[in-house]
Amino acid sequence: MDNIRNFCIIAHIDHGKSTLADRLIQATGVVEKRDFRNQILDSMDIERERGITIKSNSIALPYTARDGKKYTLNLIDTPGHVDFSHEVRRSLMSCEGALLLVDASQGVEAQTVANLYLALEYDLELIPVINKIDLPSAEVERVREEIDSDLGLDPYGAVLCSGKTGLGVEDLLEAIVTRLPAPSGDENAPPKVLIFDAQYDAYRGVVLYVRVKEGKIRAGQHIYLMHTGINYTVEEVGISVLARVPTDELGCGAVGYIIAGVKSVRDITIGDTITDTDNPASEPLPGYKEAKPVVFSSMYPIDASDYDGLARALEKLAINDAALSYEKDSSSALGYGYRCGFLGLLHLEVVQERLEREFDLSLLLSAPSVKYKVKLKTGEWVDIDNPTYYPDPSNIEMAEEPYIRGSIWIPERFLGTMMELCRDRRGVNTTFSYLAQGRVELVSELPLAEVLFDFYDRLKSLTQGYGSFDYEITDYRPTRLVKVDILVNGEQVDALSQLTHEDRSRQRALHYCEKLEETIPRQQFKIAIQGVIGGKVIARTTINAFRKDVTAKCYGGDISRKRKLLEKQKEGKKRMKMVGSVEIPQNAFIAVLKTDPGK
Amino acid sequence: MTVGPKARAVDTDSDAGVSKNAGLYVHVPFCSAVCPYCDFAVKKGGREKVPPYLAALRRELDWLAERARSSGPGDQLATLLAGPFDTLYFGGGTPSVLGEEDLAGLIQHLRGVLPFAAETRLFFEANPEDVSPASLEGWRRQGVHLLSLGVQSLDDVALRLLGRRHTAAEAEAAIRAAREAGFPTLSFDLIYGRPGQDPEAWRRELETAVALRPDHLSLYELEIHERTSFGKRKARGAFRELPEPLQAELFELTHRVLADHGYEAYEVSNFARGPEHRSGHNQKYWHHVPYLGLGPGAHSYSQDLRWWNLRDEPTWRRALKDGLAPIEAAETLEPEDLALESLMLGLRTREGADLAEIRRRWGIDVVAGNAARIAAWIENGFLESIPELLRPTLKGYAVADRLAAELELQGRASAAQVAQLPVL
Repeated sequence: MDNIRNFCIIAHIDHGKSTLADRLIQATGVVEKRDFRNQILDSMDIERERGITIKSNSIALPYTARDGKKYTLNLIDTPGHVDFSHEVRRSLMSCEGALLLVDASQGVEAQTVANLYLALEYDLELIPVINKIDLPSAEVERVREEIDSDLGLDPYGAVLCSGKTGLGVEDLLEAIVTRLPAPSGDENAPPKVLIFDAQYDAYRGVVLYVRVKEGKIRAGQHIYLMHTGINYTVEEVGISVLARVPTDELGCGAVGYIIAGVKSVRDITIGDTITDTDNPASEPLPGYKEAKPVVFSSMYPIDASDYDGLARALEKLAINDAALSYEKDSSSALGYGYRCGFLGLLHLEVVQERLEREFDLSLLLSAPSVKYKVKLKTGEWVDIDNPTYYPDPSNIEMAEEPYIRGSIWIPERFLGTMMELCRDRRGVNTTFSYLAQGRVELVSELPLAEVLFDFYDRLKSLTQGYGSFDYEITDYRPTRLVKVDILVNGEQVDALSQLTHEDRSRQRALHYCEKLEETIPRQQFKIAIQGVIGGKVIARTTINAFRKDVTAKCYGGDISRKRKLLEKQKEGKKRMKMVGSVEIPQNAFIAVLKTDPGK
Repeated sequence: MTVGPKARAVDTDSDAGVSKNAGLYVHVPFCSAVCPYCDFAVKKGGREKVPPYLAALRRELDWLAERARSSGPGDQLATLLAGPFDTLYFGGGTPSVLGEEDLAGLIQHLRGVLPFAAETRLFFEANPEDVSPASLEGWRRQGVHLLSLGVQSLDDVALRLLGRRHTAAEAEAAIRAAREAGFPTLSFDLIYGRPGQDPEAWRRELETAVALRPDHLSLYELEIHERTSFGKRKARGAFRELPEPLQAELFELTHRVLADHGYEAYEVSNFARGPEHRSGHNQKYWHHVPYLGLGPGAHSYSQDLRWWNLRDEPTWRRALKDGLAPIEAAETLEPEDLALESLMLGLRTREGADLAEIRRRWGIDVVAGNAARIAAWIENGFLESIPELLRPTLKGYAVADRLAAELELQGRASAAQVAQLPVL
């Protein structure tokens, strides 16, 4: 146990976490330089492109320290976005220490602080690391001050390094050995093994990534998952050194993997505790929290024949994404699909992108919704996250919507602008406090529905990229909820129905009507587009019938070309959805659902 | 044109009044300047470019004959070359760049190597600035049946916008002179739907046009093609097309004015004062009658094959010089493709799309799967109510492309196989 160090790197997005991780991997000789693919831990395309880590991942790094002893340094990568804080938690639970990475030119950011609080919650030993010191814009002294004032950590314990050039990486490895504690735990106690991640392998079934907290685990052992209550037999244990390397056992304090004939990740829950069937621990590890989706949207395949493909794809994604929920749904406009729950909009986008890229599906998504609590006149409370199931308003006593506590970190000069944005988004109890060096933390209680759409984008653009944002869901509060329906020539397009605050309804309905007017091609008759609440029209646009659609010239050379254009047009029609007699192209749904009515 | 030695009898499709004999098209790609709207295979140049071009045309004919010989009878090309041809169309570019001697030599050569029908009609496009008593006399002497003048506008401002090199007065003079010269059919082209054009001005221009008593008029609504000068201007926001309602208004106005003066709109953009003045050559394109195209960018069609030549004149010429195929690509047409073309083309013509003929020729039943749609179009005034015929009304003409796109064809959706010379 003494020669194991389990640690993670926590950082604000773009502060160079993956680059530093790569450098550590390289410095310990796990990968030859020429084989090195940058940012090895971020293995998905989307992760690479967006620079966001979504899945947890671990790697065992062999390191001979200056004291001459050999150590195993287990680096556990953590997701870097607020949507995935549940994954961050599980990763943190597997570690004794963390490198708290701060960009030498950006300084301490919102997420740095948020992650610090999380790390402290799990009693991790922290090493502040000032990264990117090779940049001309590096301000090491200012960052030291921020580490002191904003994070309350000893600024002179900070290790200076550059993930890009490798400068300071040796010092960092040494600091990991000398300053982070070795794992503790009783190797003779009944096993308590934390599942911090799981990935499906087509040949081996589910591979569980674990941290042994107490006892040990070996092949052949009968194990019991304490939350799900299922028994398995261990087939193989081992460690990850980029590839899986089987070992005889995973001892106390170790980080590694277990293969135990688990068929689907749906059969287990991440965060669960594994123990021995015959010699069970008395209680599971603390801190187990199920990740609950907060944003809901229905996904429909554009081609109805892809429905089974969507079902299989969701099942596959869900294998590695415990937070993704899905159930069958149907829309008269868009056909059969799935109502899915997500941790946030980024999570939604990631799932959508993966479905489209990895499974080659074309999808339409309905307007994302939060989960409302609706009290009926009968006194019964119902949860509504799908406008389809919104009760008849005459039966509703009241409704409540989820609120968040949003923290916004900005340079002081943007304070007025951001307070206005919060007010505009129905924020209440907005307060602010000064951090070091002209930076302000603004805290506002906002309806989750108001930050779901383009709040983060607005914040970024209003603060010229300097602002950062984090939130946690706090409570439900009474709201004036209405359901806005969109009618196209009198036919309701159910996929465009939306639950919204009454004050927002007209703006949102008009936005929908205008987007549809822009994107629905003119047809042989006039099309009326209306936004309605109940029977009351609150917004309206009109698309006039087309009168001219014929090519002027069509001679020898034009015929093939013209026919190909028609064929293209016909192909396009396949992607149209019929609502009554009106053809609505796929891009109309995308255009409507993509952008927020906010200015 | 006089009867050639290999002449055969004329075969006429009685239904549409369109001859079933093949048509021959010769593309003369040269223009003294390229007009900003023009999307054809054109090359800047004049007389100096003609001799090598004519030499290449002869090589092309040799190459085709050789190819047909080696592939044997029944092959699309061999069948096409077996003729007989009963139309010969010189289009461009600017065919009037050819001097009379060149034209005579070319016709004679064609007559020597291709079989023509007894009644073969000669069609010739000319620019107004090339019209002179001498040139008119020459064209008459060579047997031009339909002379088509590229007038484009009878308004000086519009002519400048369109990049033309003549004035309205010169155009009118050319039309009058050609009228005097006594061609069996005199036609000219106008372009409308120009930026800033209002219906009243266009009506006056149309009145002027019909007062010149042409036998045939081609009236094209301006279209902006990407690779043209107008297209590039449009891409950078410097060219504003007329809004669609105004385009529709001009289209309807055009058809009304022409109808009032006794011209029949036998096609979306083509008007004739009596059926004998229709362009019998162009009608072949619209009825899947075989045609052979010579020269850069020219298209040919025979049976289930369409192919097209290299578009760039020097490239086309070089290929022939090197003994290579002058062809850019070919596509085989599946029955579904042919049926879609028949619908698309038929909906552009006065006869309409003949569903019985489509069934007979291509084996595709259009009514299946479209009965309700067709009934609605008749009800809404897009089509006349005639069984087995999709005959567009004026309202239907205006949206002919859309109607064709709406029709659902059973069978494979798209079958065009574009490939490098699959058969040739």
